[in-house]
Amino acid sequence: MVTIVIDSKKYETNPDETVLEVAQKNNIFIPTLCHHPVIEPYSVCRLCVVEVTQGGKTWLTTSCNLKIIDGMEIKTVTQRIQRARKVLMELYLARCPQSDFLKEFALKLGVKETRFESKSDIDTQCILCGMCVRVCDQVMGVSALGFANRGVNREVMNPFDKFSEVCMTCGACAFVCPTQCINLSDLSRNKPEPLINEFNAGLNNRSAIYVPFPQAIPNVPVIDKEACMYYLNGTCKACEKFCEKDALKHDQNDQEIRINVGSVIVSPGFDNYIPPRGDSYGYKVYPNVLTSIEFERMLSASGPYGGHIQRISDGNQPKKIAWLQCVGSRDESCNKPYCSSVCCMYATKEAVIAKEHEPGLETHIYFMDLRSFGKDFEKYYNKAKEEYGVVYRRCRIPRVEQDIKTKNLKIGYVDDEGKVKDETYDMVVLSVGLQPCNALGDLSKILDVNLNQYGFVETSPFFKTLTSRKGIYSSGTVTEPKDIPESVTQASAAAVEAAKDISVARGTEIIEKIYPEEIDISNKYPRIGVFVCHCGINIAGVVDVKKVVKSAETFPHVVYAEETIYACSQDSLENIKNKIKELDLNRIVVSSCTPRTHEPLFKDTLREAGLNPHLFEMANIRDQNSWVHKNEPEAATEKAVDAVRMAVSKASKLYPVHHFQTPVTQSTLVIGGGIAGMTSALAIADQGYKVFIVENESELGGHLKNIYMGIDKEKPQDLLRETIKNIKNHSNIELFINTKIDSVSGYIGNFNTKLKSKNNKDIKEIKHGVIVVATGGIPYEPVEYQYGKDKNIIKQTDFEKELFDNKSYLKNLKEVVMIQCVGSRNSDHPYCSRICCSQALKNALKLKEINPEVNIFVLYRDIRTYGFKEDMLYSKARKKGIIFIRFNEDDEPKVNLHQDKISVKTIDLILGQNVILHPDKLVLSTGIIPRDNSEITQKLKIPLNEDKFFAEAHVKLRPVDFSTDGIYLCGLAHSPRFIEESILQAKATGARAATILSKPYLETKGNIAHITSRNCAGCKLCIDVCSYDAIEFDEEKRIVKVNEILCQGCGACSAVCPSGVSQQNTFTKKQVISMIDACLE
Amino acid sequence: MTDKILKVKNGDTVGSVNDLLKDLLNSKKVQALLVMQEVPSKAMAFPVLISNPDKLNSNVFAPVLPVSTASIISKITKIESSSKPIGVVMRSCQIRALIELVKLNQANIDNIVIIGIDCLGTYPVNVYSDFPENTTPTNYLLSNFPKNSNDIKYLRSACKSCKDPIPINADLLIGLYDMNPKKELLIQINSDKGKKLIEGIKLDSAKDTKNREISVKNIREEKNKNRIDFIKEGGKIKGIDALAKFFDKCINCHNCMKVCPICYCKECLFDSSVFNLEANKYIGKAEKKGLFKMPNDSLLFHTTRMNHMVVSCVGCGLCEQACPSDIPLMEIIIPIGENAQKEFDYSPGIDIEKKIPMVIYKEDEYQEVGEK
Repeated sequence: MVTIVIDSKKYETNPDETVLEVAQKNNIFIPTLCHHPVIEPYSVCRLCVVEVTQGGKTWLTTSCNLKIIDGMEIKTVTQRIQRARKVLMELYLARCPQSDFLKEFALKLGVKETRFESKSDIDTQCILCGMCVRVCDQVMGVSALGFANRGVNREVMNPFDKFSEVCMTCGACAFVCPTQCINLSDLSRNKPEPLINEFNAGLNNRSAIYVPFPQAIPNVPVIDKEACMYYLNGTCKACEKFCEKDALKHDQNDQEIRINVGSVIVSPGFDNYIPPRGDSYGYKVYPNVLTSIEFERMLSASGPYGGHIQRISDGNQPKKIAWLQCVGSRDESCNKPYCSSVCCMYATKEAVIAKEHEPGLETHIYFMDLRSFGKDFEKYYNKAKEEYGVVYRRCRIPRVEQDIKTKNLKIGYVDDEGKVKDETYDMVVLSVGLQPCNALGDLSKILDVNLNQYGFVETSPFFKTLTSRKGIYSSGTVTEPKDIPESVTQASAAAVEAAKDISVARGTEIIEKIYPEEIDISNKYPRIGVFVCHCGINIAGVVDVKKVVKSAETFPHVVYAEETIYACSQDSLENIKNKIKELDLNRIVVSSCTPRTHEPLFKDTLREAGLNPHLFEMANIRDQNSWVHKNEPEAATEKAVDAVRMAVSKASKLYPVHHFQTPVTQSTLVIGGGIAGMTSALAIADQGYKVFIVENESELGGHLKNIYMGIDKEKPQDLLRETIKNIKNHSNIELFINTKIDSVSGYIGNFNTKLKSKNNKDIKEIKHGVIVVATGGIPYEPVEYQYGKDKNIIKQTDFEKELFDNKSYLKNLKEVVMIQCVGSRNSDHPYCSRICCSQALKNALKLKEINPEVNIFVLYRDIRTYGFKEDMLYSKARKKGIIFIRFNEDDEPKVNLHQDKISVKTIDLILGQNVILHPDKLVLSTGIIPRDNSEITQKLKIPLNEDKFFAEAHVKLRPVDFSTDGIYLCGLAHSPRFIEESILQAKATGARAATILSKPYLETKGNIAHITSRNCAGCKLCIDVCSYDAIEFDEEKRIVKVNEILCQGCGACSAVCPSGVSQQNTFTKKQVISMIDACLE
Repeated sequence: MTDKILKVKNGDTVGSVNDLLKDLLNSKKVQALLVMQEVPSKAMAFPVLISNPDKLNSNVFAPVLPVSTASIISKITKIESSSKPIGVVMRSCQIRALIELVKLNQANIDNIVIIGIDCLGTYPVNVYSDFPENTTPTNYLLSNFPKNSNDIKYLRSACKSCKDPIPINADLLIGLYDMNPKKELLIQINSDKGKKLIEGIKLDSAKDTKNREISVKNIREEKNKNRIDFIKEGGKIKGIDALAKFFDKCINCHNCMKVCPICYCKECLFDSSVFNLEANKYIGKAEKKGLFKMPNDSLLFHTTRMNHMVVSCVGCGLCEQACPSDIPLMEIIIPIGENAQKEFDYSPGIDIEKKIPMVIYKEDEYQEVGEK
């Protein structure tokens, strides 16, 4: 170590570093135009001159090649230096008067203009710094570039001014050029191809070493071996010089790893359909035609344009955007006969978000059928239409035309009245469909699983996670296009199948970590240790870490403060542990990145050192500081000091928090004995846990009893029989029929339920750890369309039974009319019942099979045969001659009865004329409505949504959980859905339940709320705001009580409590107020 | 329900009401009555809980509000609801406060019969106890009625700008507006509870009440005008400096909190040790600013208190009356209360079923907050 003084400040440093390197490390600005860390210093630009004083002598010299000598004194800003730099800068400006970069750089040095005259015959931006020449030679090792000529004629060129044979077109020269004056195509015969940023859908480029996307797990860079110059030519390795931790290992090789597993889950996802270049939509030809994936990245705040919507052609903000639906979906011409299920909703979402981004933007969606069939989707669609003003036009667009000059896009369409119109847009988004992922072909061969006719993984009809090979399960879009909630549900369902196979081995490979006994700190003054992290250059590149440490040392209770390059690295964690022991520290503050990712790691380190893990506080000086204040290093440093002061202040008020444990009753209550309830019970019982099924009615089966035919050749009644048999024979399942829930008390892990038989005679009490709610739904009983007044007006479910029984009259039917959306998508039931379209078409096709002569008319609003049903039902139905007539919600068909003759009057919207039909049979496609769930809602304290179905904790991320822990949801009680979808949900509840049942005990979270009972006024405000039902009112003491297991530590109760009686551990009023005080100090 | 008339005997308004109240006690329809009764010196009136009709010598019209009757009902019913019926004579502001306390689980009115009286306004306690006119405050007010309340001397500012002097949510209402209090009073029955209460007591039926509706409308409009002036004036207090100036006389006695019917905390956060800092923090603050006013948390106390109670503020003005430094609190409480209540579309003390805004989460509410 040697000492050097720069601008009267002492620095300890390595003797082999240069003065410039030391200055740059310590954020001391020395201008340079010819220095780059990966190439040898050359001292040609001369701007880095500093004043050196040594042995009584003072002189000017360049700092980039000035090796340090102990005791050297350096000045970086003196009049003499400034004069020298100014003249140099003026000369540069005179040489390259065109360079904006140099003008800006000059301004930084206080040079506004040059006194020297520019030579008019030199038109260059090259300052002859030679960085390109050196990087090509020293780093890339090829010397494709060099200097030629002498004196005023000196310039950079390829040998003999011809394309170089050795040039690799790597672009290093252009990359290091300070004035950006190198055009690669002038130097290389090959066309340089920028690397496409796959995550941003090719909207921008990336380097050869990169983090694939911001949320990548693990979040570390990868090297693109096909683009990295080291792997291609054995050169470069420049990245190694930047990595302070020496983490880059270019000699790493691909490894083949063999692992033994009991089951396999295949979930590789989908690829989006890529419209072929030059098709009629002009994708990749017209710059302003984007795919929805590209548009999605454009909308993203972390995307290539920071969330700003702009045209590719000119960067202008579009005023009018059109979405074209069904691109690569419902299209036999591109071999995609199925519906991709998600595009209607994502296009709606994109249109809504785009409108939120750019008020006044016009958004038009061109569609065939709007398929908002998911839970609460219809509501979202209506909101987009009515509140946001998204315009929907029912028309499949054949072609997009571009105006050559403006690059605007013209679309011709047919309006509601059948008139051909056209409209011009600034941008067109193609709502591309989902197709099997590219890798699936090889993968399916390796796994030996069958693919179906559409190229997706083939699954068992009712069990959509089972593949053709036993032990291999599948989930997500690899089995059929689907939205997030269904994918997440199916994933849990696959997990339960996989877990079932290996449930005997559960817990056998867990190694429990042993921690030392906790040190008692109750009688000790706070002794705080502060560790300030550089995070490489992430923090230290902006924040003066040394200054932060210096300040931290002066804060009250701080015994020790130090800086560390990476606080989270193994040696740093070891160091924290040692310091705790050595200095008897009893509170630790780490000032680094976000607690969201790193807090658990540091807390664990405290435990390993014998401290209670909650004696830890983190100050985020990266995400909320150095990253966002890049250009204000001084202010950022000040902010970091404040953040650390706040953290220290809070830390001095931290106290140990202990976790309580409560044992788990390893059994389940399933409410409802329909297919969902039974499947859930079997999924849990098969994992070895006890299950109680409670069914209200006298027999099992629920709504499945009404369904006789599957869409293909499935037999629902066989499924029902088989399932009931399995239930009755299962040793882990106890069945209570004709039984109701009387009362439920307790909480996750420890429920206590009283069951009451229907005759109110017998009461039985059961104990269980979790609850599955599968109370089902009920078919809608129509009041419209003269139902009940004629025996030939029947419900679709009743008609299905007649078809199944193959009633003889079916053969004689001449004309049948089916009306869709009966009791769905109206003001009483504003949701879509999801199943009715497919059910109607399934029955219509069956009728055609029985009686090919019959005329079938389906009166519909939108046909919602999503996924493969599009091809299996809708396309087939049309091919079989079934006639579809669309009607509007406000102009429903009219049914009249006249002397036992039914007449149906409707407007054919295409012809614009009334059509009167006289069917022999009028079939009403009725939907599913919720049961009266009020009793269960009250007893379990679980919420309903606006449509009176149960409301899950999170539509996408927790589709079968309730927000109250330990209660799960499946089947028609969740929302209308098909048998196989109910089964998936039911299986998913099995997986979710096992996450609790598999634990011997549950542990409280650390940051839970607690109530100071002495001061509780019993106003119950906290009970109202608690989303987790974790606060109870003690009627006797008239105060509230927190259930520590249920509390999730959200802090809502603490916020609402006026007297500060509800306090959250690690966020108490005292702690928070002390932080605020420290901030204002 | 039909309205009744209480005939005033010999021009003795107070005595006639007392006769009615005695009848109620005698009929055992209520076990006890909470009414305003004057202290022997007549210098003040306090709520008393009376069960013996012989001891009843109340003055329900005594124009003074030394304590919140709503808080008293809270005190009586908080631990458990009354098993026997209690009648309570209240002014409109106190009924509103009581309804808020019921919502906050601080009072229970299951067995409470509320008898509301039309409020003519009240005097500050010091004016009442040492009344400058040559008559009793009660007589002065009753004989000056029905003047415009701005023309009646000495009324508290809160009363001049009362939210609504006509009781809502009272089971029984003793009406003064559009009546001649020397001759007859209106008895309005507003609920089954109220109907049961006066069953068997002989009263004449009232003639049509159209005129009363007009005079009620007039008085509401008049008070509302005063409120609007208050809100206009209060709107001028802007920014931390103006706020600090407004409260600079505060001696941090917390009287305003103690008399407020809505401030129900058992122990105020500001009476706890949460705001006590370590010596070095005080010194740090002094060093930063050069000087540091003590006690340090008086402004924070007022803003926090307002944050807690304004949406439920019924505008009774007890805080202002209790202030030893004569800070005109209503000038700030009324505008902030009105604006806050308007923001959340909430009227305190009106609808017992409507939850207080604090506990209602609306996803699309205040999206703009925090964006700029």
